[in-house]
Amino acid sequence: MRRMLAVLSILGLALPIAAPALAQQGTLEKIGQSGVLTIGTRTASPPFAFVNKQNEWVGFSIDLVEQAVKPAIERKLGKPITIEKKESTPPTRIPLLSSNAVDLIAGTMTDTRARRESVDFSLTFFVTGAQFLVKKNSPIRGIESIAGRRVAAQQGSTNAKLIRERMPTARLQEFPDQPAAFQALAQGQVDAYTNDGIQLYGLRAKAPRPDDWKVVGDFFSYEPYGMAMRKNDSDFRHAVNVGLMEAIESGKYFELYDKWFGPNGETPYPLTPENKRFLIMQVVPK
Amino acid sequence: MHYDFHWQVLWSGQSGRWLLQGLGTTLAISSLAWLLAVGLGILSGALRTVPWKALRAVAAFYVEFFRNVPLLVWMFFWYFGVPPLLPEAAREWLFDHGAEFWAGMFALGVYHGARMSEVIRSGIQSIPKTQFEAAVAMGLTTFQAYRLVILPIALRLIVPPATSESLNLLKNSSVALTISVAELTFQTRQIETYTARAIEALTAGTVIYLVLCVGIATIMARVERRFAIPGLIARGG
Repeated sequence: MRRMLAVLSILGLALPIAAPALAQQGTLEKIGQSGVLTIGTRTASPPFAFVNKQNEWVGFSIDLVEQAVKPAIERKLGKPITIEKKESTPPTRIPLLSSNAVDLIAGTMTDTRARRESVDFSLTFFVTGAQFLVKKNSPIRGIESIAGRRVAAQQGSTNAKLIRERMPTARLQEFPDQPAAFQALAQGQVDAYTNDGIQLYGLRAKAPRPDDWKVVGDFFSYEPYGMAMRKNDSDFRHAVNVGLMEAIESGKYFELYDKWFGPNGETPYPLTPENKRFLIMQVVPK
Repeated sequence: MHYDFHWQVLWSGQSGRWLLQGLGTTLAISSLAWLLAVGLGILSGALRTVPWKALRAVAAFYVEFFRNVPLLVWMFFWYFGVPPLLPEAAREWLFDHGAEFWAGMFALGVYHGARMSEVIRSGIQSIPKTQFEAAVAMGLTTFQAYRLVILPIALRLIVPPATSESLNLLKNSSVALTISVAELTFQTRQIETYTARAIEALTAGTVIYLVLCVGIATIMARVERRFAIPGLIARGG
């Protein structure tokens, strides 16, 4: 037994030594050498990042990387780069970044102060808030009516955290991905599914019978989406931000917004004047 | 760029309680599933060697059907597939009483029961046929021969592979997080969500699994020595 303890303690010591050796060179340098920008994104979060009916991996966040961030990095490096996409989920995305497996998280990640302790964020590229998806005839109207109810959430999301704090009597069940949570709602294992409002609209639009579902409640959280990257790499962060700012300035951002959230888009979701103003005000002068 | 470790996230705030809760759930789901797996394993392992063809076929079907489909699929099957087959009232009752825990328990138990069955069958088949014949010649029925002679020897023979199988069961209980069971792996991810400290949380989870498994292996090694029949089973170093 004593020998076993020795082995365990050696393992425990080895871990912290092995990890910091991973990240040393800057991300721009890394992309310059490999010619590849690796992004971590989602496969089932329409319309931000999902696999469509033609089996293509597309979405608003992916378009922003390809049409706004990529040109800015190419200009900075003076050479063309390619984009590689990897699946990342709320529990895996920060480890994927820290281990250098991906360079940029571009999906549906909310910028929070706690997360800023471990990663850096680009400027905010989308604003939404948490709501509930329920069956058409459900009595649930919002966060005030979920006490004692079974509520599904995505594991690792900010919404789950808020429900636990504000409505501890709700019976929270957390699923690793959206399809499993939606399936549980459809079958009645849970009474409501909470996620960022825009994602619920996206889910509803993709459901076999959208009219059977409704999105209810006021926003009970503020969810500003940002692109996450490794901490303390301001050159890379600046390049990403320049790309986003130029897209907002040139109108490219709003074109893409219309493509995905316009009346004929994947998930119709009009841009409010306040949100538009907020986006424009993030663009600092040249 | 380098990574600063903040191990205190593991005991500050709610993290410590979450880890303990996760550990409790992991132990609860694993031990119930283990009892189910051992019960099913002994039954079906024994049935696969009895002298009746129909019973052997039933047991063989169980083993091949359940061990050849991935555990993740079985989790979804018991959680999403089974409840709609139940009557309305039973379903509602189940949904109100931790359906995900019971679905996860059945998925684990039935899946590992099929694998345990093969371990037990190989134990039984390593006993010379004459042992069984001698038991029957002494006037025991087939059932008595199994209960009093064959199984007691077989169960002693299979302690080492059964230990491996039990450790697999314990570790596979983490798959239950896909159907929202808040077990140990789930809770380590939970800590990561709240603190954004993934490496610390995952290390804590890893060490807990390691300690649990090493502990179980040590106990099983004791059990093996304690119940060995002198002269019948060779003692390893």
